[in-house]
Amino acid sequence: MMSILQTAALLFALTGTGVRASADDGNGTDYLVYVAAESEDIVAVAKFDAATRKVEVVKRVSVGYQPTEVEGPHGLTVDPDGRHWYLSVAHGKPYGYLYKYTTETDDLVGRCELGLFPATMEISRATGLLYCVNFNLHGRMEPSTVSIVDPEEMVEVARTTTGTMPHGSRITPDGMLHYSCSMMSDMLYEIDAVTFELKRQLRLTISDDAADAPMGAGPMNGAGTNDGAMGDGDMPMGDDVSRAMAVAKPTWAYPHPTKDLVYVALNGAAQVVEVDTQTWKITRRFETAKAPYNLEVTRDGRKLVVTHKGAQSVGIWDLETGNEVARVPTSRKVTHGVVLSPDSRFAFVSNESIGSNKGTLDVIDLSTNELVSSTDIGLQAGGIAFWKMN
Amino acid sequence: MKLHRPSRQRLLSSPLAGLMALAAFGSSATAQEEETRTIHVTPASLEMKVGQTKSLEVVVVDAAGNVEDVPVVFFTGSRGALVVDQGEITARAPGSFEVTVRTARASGARASIKVPVTVAFAQVQSIEFVDAPGAMFVGASYKLATRVHDEIGERPDVVPTLTSSDESVASIDAFGRVVAKSAGFCEFTATAGGTTGTFALRVTESPVASVRIEVDKLLARTGDVLQFRATALDASGSPVEGAPMRYSTSAQLDDDLGPAASGQVGNDGRFVAQDPGLYTVTATSGSVSASETVRALERDAQREVRLVGRGTVTEEHTSDLWVWEGIDGRDYAVTGTWGANGDAVLWDVTDPANMEQINRVKVDARTVNDVKVSPDGTLCILSREGASNRKNGIVIVDVRDPAFPEVISTFTENLTGGVHNLFIWNDHVFALSAGRRYDIISIEDPKNPHRVGSFELDTPGHSIHDVWVEDGIAYSSNWQDGVYMVDVGNGMAGGSLSNPVVIGHYAYPSGWNHAAFPYKDKETGKFYIVAGDEAFPYGLHIEDHPTYPRGWLHFIDFTDPKNPQEVARYQVPEAGSHNFWIEDDVLYVGYYNGGLRVVDLSGDLMGDLYEQGREIGFFLPTDPEGVVPNASMVWGPQPHKGKVFFSDWNSGLWAVEVEPPAAE
Repeated sequence: MMSILQTAALLFALTGTGVRASADDGNGTDYLVYVAAESEDIVAVAKFDAATRKVEVVKRVSVGYQPTEVEGPHGLTVDPDGRHWYLSVAHGKPYGYLYKYTTETDDLVGRCELGLFPATMEISRATGLLYCVNFNLHGRMEPSTVSIVDPEEMVEVARTTTGTMPHGSRITPDGMLHYSCSMMSDMLYEIDAVTFELKRQLRLTISDDAADAPMGAGPMNGAGTNDGAMGDGDMPMGDDVSRAMAVAKPTWAYPHPTKDLVYVALNGAAQVVEVDTQTWKITRRFETAKAPYNLEVTRDGRKLVVTHKGAQSVGIWDLETGNEVARVPTSRKVTHGVVLSPDSRFAFVSNESIGSNKGTLDVIDLSTNELVSSTDIGLQAGGIAFWKMN
Repeated sequence: MKLHRPSRQRLLSSPLAGLMALAAFGSSATAQEEETRTIHVTPASLEMKVGQTKSLEVVVVDAAGNVEDVPVVFFTGSRGALVVDQGEITARAPGSFEVTVRTARASGARASIKVPVTVAFAQVQSIEFVDAPGAMFVGASYKLATRVHDEIGERPDVVPTLTSSDESVASIDAFGRVVAKSAGFCEFTATAGGTTGTFALRVTESPVASVRIEVDKLLARTGDVLQFRATALDASGSPVEGAPMRYSTSAQLDDDLGPAASGQVGNDGRFVAQDPGLYTVTATSGSVSASETVRALERDAQREVRLVGRGTVTEEHTSDLWVWEGIDGRDYAVTGTWGANGDAVLWDVTDPANMEQINRVKVDARTVNDVKVSPDGTLCILSREGASNRKNGIVIVDVRDPAFPEVISTFTENLTGGVHNLFIWNDHVFALSAGRRYDIISIEDPKNPHRVGSFELDTPGHSIHDVWVEDGIAYSSNWQDGVYMVDVGNGMAGGSLSNPVVIGHYAYPSGWNHAAFPYKDKETGKFYIVAGDEAFPYGLHIEDHPTYPRGWLHFIDFTDPKNPQEVARYQVPEAGSHNFWIEDDVLYVGYYNGGLRVVDLSGDLMGDLYEQGREIGFFLPTDPEGVVPNASMVWGPQPHKGKVFFSDWNSGLWAVEVEPPAAE
């Protein structure tokens, strides 16, 4: 954790630069996001009014095809032209589906079967194809895949095998490379978005000393077990061998918007690591609160925002200094997803919560690092995607 | 520029080289990328055979005609038929497909071409007649079937043309129906794709001079199955072995004001009537026939179903129930909750007219879909879905004193995807895991449950919904894979808890198989698995509107488990089946919007049990304060000590009693 003085210094620095400019530009702007309630089979459309600083749900869309079963809407993304949103639903009979909706009317316009528990996804600007990890959260501990889908025809065109429980599917801004990690293989994967080939993989260790250690031999910390209390993340275990092998348990990968860097959340190690994609090595480590889960870098490349699933909070880092500038408590437990507004002003954070207590959407002002508004979404609010600013 | 071909790409970097390359390609397809780049693909289409590999060659040029080095994506949505490896296409199956060729560019400006690929069907190689008889009697008819193969495999899509060499001996129509007309020989020919198959038939004069038809009873009720037996006799009155026999029926109904067809007879002579009236069954062998007429009387099965009491739950949806006699001799029930806060509700139902909610058990879940209590009344097992830590699994609760239940242990290993349904048998819990399989978990020491076995189908994309266990046989419901009967300790197939062995299975086309219940009819000795549907073609309304499910119960005769036959159905019009229970030849069905249904299953079963008037009665629970007001949505029933308890999704726990049958 950074000191109060460090925090103050950074806040001062931030307030004096780009944040002020964007605040001047943006008052009165509406920000729209989609949030999925995984245990309620709904997707909420939420609007944040930057002038009133209030967020509200403007629409709820029921999803899935098995009414009495919880199918688990998990991943969300909006295509680059903003005309459609896509939803991965975890459970079918048994395979999950990718659904396509129009943003204008939220009408369902297409569906495509994928693998077991399809989860996070993104569309490449370059290829126009959608890349979705088949998380297989509850299946056997075996390598799973990234499904590659033509979102126009809504048909799967390829599958690339990666590791066990792949998650955190994100694409470089030029659309040419896809990054994901596998929670139970402790690996980061780089896929060529054009050829669909797995180009490189990197062992994600929890310390620099463990870089050459055999898999599973790295030091364990308190967060390294999957039998622990809620908050360690999505890590139910089915295989003792895999449980022993996975240490870092990476859950998310996010390429830097302008640099050859990828940030990976190590859920099991309370770390975020920075990977240099030129050298293909870990270059920095950021100590986080318990169970970092999702993360995103502001469009301007200056800030890293991390959700702490096990600590009901969000951590905000200055990527220039490498310091955590704020830790913002969230409105409910089991903090899950985060997306950032393109103007780098706000973070939109989903919180799953527990039982019948509704999950929420929080809005954090990145200029003040304060939670400014929150609204109920539904049971187990998780997947989140930024749609647009009006 | 990238030039894609099997041997790898080569670069052409000058305008001249690009133009030369385009000229050399001949016929090609072209698409433009926002007036800056043009993509040329050669050839513009592919004609292929199965197993063949061909290449697409691609040139990308800029607005000035310069060949550019641009990444190109190749893909197809027909992955089962085509293998696309960059520009190299391999055909796996016949048909018409497309390969998309697309430039990839960070700006999002893309040129894209769809290249048609036609993979020819293989040549038909053989046509055979299936199970064709070598000889027929004059006057007999038979449905012939053919099977067509090409060099890859069977071609069910190919319908051959059928002809007879001598129509005066035997004719054959376009559907394969053969009619033997006179004694002699003829040859049938099937022709398709330039290939023929033949089959020779001998037609002989029929020795059948008469037909004798018998039936055990001339009077029956609607729904009673009568067995007609017809025998073909020669001129001397002796039976003719191998003589074909067809049965048909006609009716003269008591109600002749426009009813539909009301009776059916099978090829085995079994007959059932739906409506009261006179029915004539005719048996025909060749050109000879005989008839017998029977009368069907009103079944008169209806009895009153009276409300006894209820335990109201209107703050959340109620799921399954279990009713049991506690170790203190009082009667208790437990109900689950759906899409709520992880509660199971415990009731004292000793006086069903005054059911009392005595406690709740809260677990980390959003749905406690299933609840079961051990036969000795000491342990209650709760299923979990939507746990906040995503570990789900089951919770084992001590209910020796149901007013003060105590959680003993939880078991989540390999059950993290959620347990939707479960069953207890012989100190073991059969728990579904993520809708993929059921695990068998020992609770002999309830503080230390552990897995001893598991059963999972190996069919593509299999999924399971429920499991029920009796006498060491597990009956599972598997959506499109239907019902499975598995030896988990009965011994009839050598199975055990740690080594489940399939005894038999049956699937039906809709893929709606949601529940299963075994039923042995004492009167006939037949053994059925009753397979229930669940379907929501019009969606599910959780808060504000009634729901209109569909589906019915399938009665599958499993007397020979290797040859199960679906023989009857119970289908309430415009309603949807859910969970059900059979006791003493009476079926109790939670029929969702159709309420609780009570059905007479006595005797042999055939046809549509609802239309036959076998329904004893029904009860529609409604509550203006229900989660969905005034909307019946019965989840499942359980008969207990002369009462029928059932849970309703919108209103909680109910108890009714069925008026006893009138004396004979």
